[in-house]
Amino acid sequence: MAETTDWQDRYYDIDQVLNTPGPRTDPAFLAGDGVKDFLRNQAKILVIGAGGLGCEILANLALTGFKDIHVIDMDTIDISNLNRQFLFRQKDVGQPKATVAAEFIMKRVPGVKVTPYFGKIQDKDDDYYLQFNLVICGLDSVEARRWMSATLVNLVDPENPESLKPLIDGGTEGFRGQARVILPTITSCYECSLDMLNKPVAFPICTIANTPRLPEHCIEWASVLEWPKVHGDKKLDTDDPEHIGWLYTVAAARAKEFNIEGVTWALTQGVVKHIIPAIASTNAIIAASCCNEAFKIATSSAAYLNNYFMLIGTEGIYSYTFEHEKREDCPVCGGEAVELSFPADHTVDQLIELLIEKQDIQIKKPSLSTPTVQIYLQGPPQLEEATRPNLGKKLKELVPEGGEITVTSTSLPFSLSLRISYT
Amino acid sequence: MATATESIDITATQAQPDSKTRRYDRQLRLWAASGQSALENARLLVISGSATSTSTLKNLVLPGVGHFTILDPEVVSARDAGNNFFLEGQSSIGKSRAEEAVRLLAELNDGVEGKADTSSLEHILDTNPAYFSSYTLVIAHNLEPKLLERLSTLLWTDDTLPTLVVVNSAGFLGEFYIQFHEHTIIESHSETAPSLRIDKPFPALSDYATTLHFAGMDPTDHTHVPYVVILVRALAEWKAAHDDKPPQTTAEKKLFKQGVQDMKIKFDEENFDEAEAQAYRCWTETRVPSDISALFQDPQLSALGPTSPPFFHLLEALRQFTLEPPHTLPLSSTLPDMKANTTSYIHLQTLYKTRAEEEKAMFKNFLTVPLDDALIDSFVKNAHGLKILRGKKYGALNADPAALAAAVASSPKAAATHLALSALAAVSSPKPSVEELTAAAQALLPPGTELPDEFSDSVGEIARSPSADLPNTAAFLGGLVAQEVIKMITKQYVPIDSYCVVDLVETWTGIV
Repeated sequence: MAETTDWQDRYYDIDQVLNTPGPRTDPAFLAGDGVKDFLRNQAKILVIGAGGLGCEILANLALTGFKDIHVIDMDTIDISNLNRQFLFRQKDVGQPKATVAAEFIMKRVPGVKVTPYFGKIQDKDDDYYLQFNLVICGLDSVEARRWMSATLVNLVDPENPESLKPLIDGGTEGFRGQARVILPTITSCYECSLDMLNKPVAFPICTIANTPRLPEHCIEWASVLEWPKVHGDKKLDTDDPEHIGWLYTVAAARAKEFNIEGVTWALTQGVVKHIIPAIASTNAIIAASCCNEAFKIATSSAAYLNNYFMLIGTEGIYSYTFEHEKREDCPVCGGEAVELSFPADHTVDQLIELLIEKQDIQIKKPSLSTPTVQIYLQGPPQLEEATRPNLGKKLKELVPEGGEITVTSTSLPFSLSLRISYT
Repeated sequence: MATATESIDITATQAQPDSKTRRYDRQLRLWAASGQSALENARLLVISGSATSTSTLKNLVLPGVGHFTILDPEVVSARDAGNNFFLEGQSSIGKSRAEEAVRLLAELNDGVEGKADTSSLEHILDTNPAYFSSYTLVIAHNLEPKLLERLSTLLWTDDTLPTLVVVNSAGFLGEFYIQFHEHTIIESHSETAPSLRIDKPFPALSDYATTLHFAGMDPTDHTHVPYVVILVRALAEWKAAHDDKPPQTTAEKKLFKQGVQDMKIKFDEENFDEAEAQAYRCWTETRVPSDISALFQDPQLSALGPTSPPFFHLLEALRQFTLEPPHTLPLSSTLPDMKANTTSYIHLQTLYKTRAEEEKAMFKNFLTVPLDDALIDSFVKNAHGLKILRGKKYGALNADPAALAAAVASSPKAAATHLALSALAAVSSPKPSVEELTAAAQALLPPGTELPDEFSDSVGEIARSPSADLPNTAAFLGGLVAQEVIKMITKQYVPIDSYCVVDLVETWTGIV
């Protein structure tokens, strides 16, 4: 295949860095045909996400010479994607992102094979992930990134160096973004840096119900309290303009009643969909950085990022490159239990609330157990019912001082060990 | 309540935004309709259809720039077809690079007009220098140094001529520079919040806070008095007992905070905790922020005339406003969220809004030219984040050995990369040696000044890949350049006013 598609001088630019080492190139780099053959004929790379970052990542990988690319995305194309997801056109709205992106790349860059999967990363097993040399994530979901990072850490078998799959992760928000290289079990993983995330804005229910002050409070009232009250079991679909229209109207009426200004359609949609501003240029910077790391790791042609690049483009161009350190008590790659001091008179319910909110833990729907006691299990229904009475009990009644609690959640492929001390 | 909901017309989906607004939703949340309109009125000229040029343009066509022209006489070569996403592989080889790139870029957005011009820049500079005046901004990538010098000199002659963005790259290294005379920003999207003026309360706020009957209040209302009101009250009482002075020593500040806590009637009144946490506002005097008062020294103000840009008329009015007591910027009407019930919060918000309107009216009295109300509103609202940037001609740094030496001393890594790229432009051979490049870089510095240690890393990369337009470097630079171009065009956020240097071996950006 290479003979028919690789016309003379196709890689004239890239070959300049593959034919010769630079001052910061690892001495083990073998300049010339071997590295080109590996990159163009052997390397297999997985891209998670075919959205804002994903489109850019696929194009860059294809141009730099990766020819066996797989892409996973569970979304379909929406009109609001078209301001940055440049492999999609108006006619593609409603189609799966992974499929349309793969077809576009194969048409534009001859000789590149892109294999799409329209579905969830959780659908795939370890054998699937083991087939790749590298994984690049361009996701907007914290949950999916945690899952991917933990899965690649769990995949590492010390006996088999091939099982270590470098993970390159990118993320953007407006004019800001970050790119990082994770060598599972060796460098800090996604879970290690959970406390760096911005805390999501949450409005207390009592404010929403009783003392609204901001337009956001009125919108939350409409979506959290009024929607289920009026529509019963019908699920709110934030992609359905009729549903957003209903919320907007209800929120606007409440705002009027309380003399609150500022409820608009755009704000309503922004609040209920948790919209993050996104532009092509920031995605281009971060995706380029991710692909450049993938290229350097795959070819050893230059040193690679160690290990975190952060960009803030709102005031001038500020960036910070640093080594994010592993957390010894990281539930995914650390091995040590997390020490937690907990008030002696607080209940299991309050512990659960803490686990959901605590910045470095953030586990939705945690199940808790010790080697001897099932404290609270979210499922199956019989076990949930059987353990529910424990919610009101003081934790101290169930777990002794210094005792360890194992926390699990169906959304995360790992468990967290907590060592409890009472205050 | 239920009846109110039921009576609502659920066919309100007509309120859904039009398809253009939906398409641009994610960016309108950053620069709003005003920024979008500026973008749609902008005309860009991009010199060369290189991978870096098309990567940059892609990020400007997608958000909806009005017009772009690619000026490029070349035909697509085999290497272009390999490293440029906006060419169609082998089938583009031999065709006009400008025409192919324009065709494939224009596909990205029906609302954008694209034009290919296959003339040579040299010919235009020779015969038609007025060519450039219809553009808002010109971007030039890896332009031949002599032509670049002619172009930058021409565009610098008059401040009505377009801004010039110069982009240079080789292999993993790159840099760019924006040549502009003056750039004023109202909407800088500053992250500093404007003052609530708790230390200098306006009369209506002061009256409200000092006449509120805390003692006879319903306990639920007491729990919902906004912290702003609590602090204004507590400070007034403190000053009455302390010679009209706010708490000054550490001991006094502690005592003041204790006083706020003592106002509680129940231990769990969070509004008083919030007041204690915000108590520093009582002894931090609200003044004109120093970076804003520095703008009042701007030479444009002393030379203010009827033809001066509106920004400077507004700035002069602001200066005069601040000469009057209480010597602050006009009050902002935005009140942050705080513990309060609806009635008390909305009442306080109304006090702020009313006062902000009054102060805006006072501000307007200082204006000597008629200006658009929306502009005045925006200026007053964003007064705490105003910026004036003054640029230099492209090449000014390299023409000033002492300034280069200072850059080497202050940021050696970034300066090393800049010197290596400058050396590449200075030598004529297509595949220069490290020695040639080092000599060229050394020649830019004052005699006796040593090149930074990091120079060997940079120059080695340049010698390795002097003409490589790598797709990843192109995409990275294309993103950064587009971002700055958007800031220049929308006059929102703050662009760079020096070189931005990029090293994609260690992955960092720097400023020289």
